[in-house]
Amino acid sequence: MIPLRRAGPVAVLVILAIAPFLTANPFYQRIAALVVLAAISASAWNVIGGYAGQISFGHSIYFGIGAYASLLLFGRFGLPPIAGAPLGIIASFVVSLIIGPPTFRLRGHYFSMGTFAIAALAEILIVNWKFAGGAIGLMGPAMPRSLADLLFRNSLPYYAIFLAVLALLLALTHLMQRSRMGFYLRAIGAGERAAESLGVPVQRYKLYALLISGAFTALAGSLYAVMIGFVDPESGFGILISVNMVVIAALGGVGTLFGPLVGAIILVPLQETTNALLGGSGTGAAYVAYGLIIMLIARFSPGGLAELWPLINRHGRRRAA
Amino acid sequence: MLLEAQGIVKAFGSFRAVDQANLVVAENELIGLIGPNGAGKSTFFNCLAGDTRPTSGTIRFRGQEITRLSPDRHARLGLARTFQVPIVFAGMTVRENVMVGALLRHPHRRRAADEADELLHFTGLAERAEMPVTALGTPGRKRVEIARALATEPRLLLLDEALAGLTSSEVEAAIELVERIHARGVTLIVVEHIMEVIHRLTERVLVFHQGRVIAEGTPAEVTADPTVIAAYLGRRRGRAQ
Ligand SMILES: Nc1ncnc2c1ncn2[C@@H]1O[C@H](COP(=O)(O)OP(=O)(O)O)[C@@H](O)[C@H]1O
Ligand SMILES: [Mg+2]
Repeated sequence: MIPLRRAGPVAVLVILAIAPFLTANPFYQRIAALVVLAAISASAWNVIGGYAGQISFGHSIYFGIGAYASLLLFGRFGLPPIAGAPLGIIASFVVSLIIGPPTFRLRGHYFSMGTFAIAALAEILIVNWKFAGGAIGLMGPAMPRSLADLLFRNSLPYYAIFLAVLALLLALTHLMQRSRMGFYLRAIGAGERAAESLGVPVQRYKLYALLISGAFTALAGSLYAVMIGFVDPESGFGILISVNMVVIAALGGVGTLFGPLVGAIILVPLQETTNALLGGSGTGAAYVAYGLIIMLIARFSPGGLAELWPLINRHGRRRAA
Repeated sequence: MLLEAQGIVKAFGSFRAVDQANLVVAENELIGLIGPNGAGKSTFFNCLAGDTRPTSGTIRFRGQEITRLSPDRHARLGLARTFQVPIVFAGMTVRENVMVGALLRHPHRRRAADEADELLHFTGLAERAEMPVTALGTPGRKRVEIARALATEPRLLLLDEALAGLTSSEVEAAIELVERIHARGVTLIVVEHIMEVIHRLTERVLVFHQGRVIAEGTPAEVTADPTVIAAYLGRRRGRAQ
């Protein structure tokens, strides 16, 4: 029998694997794909933001790099957008090596503010970069030239691809969690000074975490560009992109394997339906909702929903006994 | 010599928290560090552990200059410490806290867990291994810090007020623990306020006052020293004399 501790995550995965195939409604199928995509970027953020406790508000940089790499390669060189994914990942490594070491010297809120400032700067640079479409942005292919363009009429193929990437990322995170690196990152998040005194090379491990986190966030950006076929400075490098990852991870539970996924399952459908109802992107409403969610989490459950999970389990066990 | 610290100065602005402190430690010694609050003992420890860089002076450990090395390099070389105010890893169990230390020499989780269990047993924490570390009070947390530091397999261990705030029966157990750590072959420097503890544990004591080492000798010698008595009573006469 599956132990109760595992029952929740297993159920979630099973439901995820089959859910969108049960509906023929393209709106729901699209939402399902977007849920998994958001789960990828929030899970990627979670490596540095959750496990290592370095609350980055600058991850939109990585997302934007991935998305722009894909559509630049298509727009300028006619390559299939997905070819931009490896390029975006390589670029993410370069960015991590540049912004990691100086920002890691900042602690707590100062790190968050530092990363936020760098991301805001990146958005301004992109707006003024004519080669990358400036304020207007970039388009993907309008018609599929070959299967490699990954242009599908319905969202299910995207859903399947995203789910495979998410599974890979969660498997890696699970391995990390059980390894020395997982212990070291959690130690850094809980008490940097003590971690150092026990021989943890803090700056080095933060950089490892950022490299992994940034690479998967860039991959999420590329996948987004492949599916949506359009990116502009706001949808690639916008502050809301960073905030989204933080809020989703915080809602589900930072520093837990499945927290970001749970957060995405709850938050993304809410966003998409309210956007559909209010029309347009509903950005203003999103900010208000995020503020509210952050306040509720901070007040009632700083560990996110993951903190409530053991309570639910305990009740379940008692009933079962 | 295991450790040689020469002319250590740590200045915060114009204020010298540590002022020309010297300390030589031989292998297997158990040295006491005493002095009134604010004398600079913790700051001196921070310098020795690489947690803060001394303004001037040099520190050699096992023949190697370590003055400007990072704290993690100190740990790797075999110099471990505890903090006056314990810093535990919230969100982890007691065992996991100790495993973080053990992973330094044993990169594999299983092996580190075994090492951690041995030390939890050694420090009397075995029953609480599975508890979240935050469920422990200050005395328990101080023990976790000791177990964690020992897990890095140090040659020299700096204990900063590891016995402060304990009840008398806890102090008794803690003295016994320090003795057992010493018996394992670990050299120790302990900052301690309770003179009785110093008398029972150590053969050599350094007395800090206003950043300076004002006396050094056996516990009996320093407690009889008029300079030391004056420092503790806070009389100006003591300094002039
Ligand atoms: N980071 C710091 N900045 C400024 N002053 C400090 C700092 N750390 C310690 N001090 C000062 O240095 C002196 C020595 O402190 P400390 O080493 O903690 O003393 P002790 O451990 O002997 O009680 C105190 O006056 C304290 O206020
Ligand atoms: Mg002190």
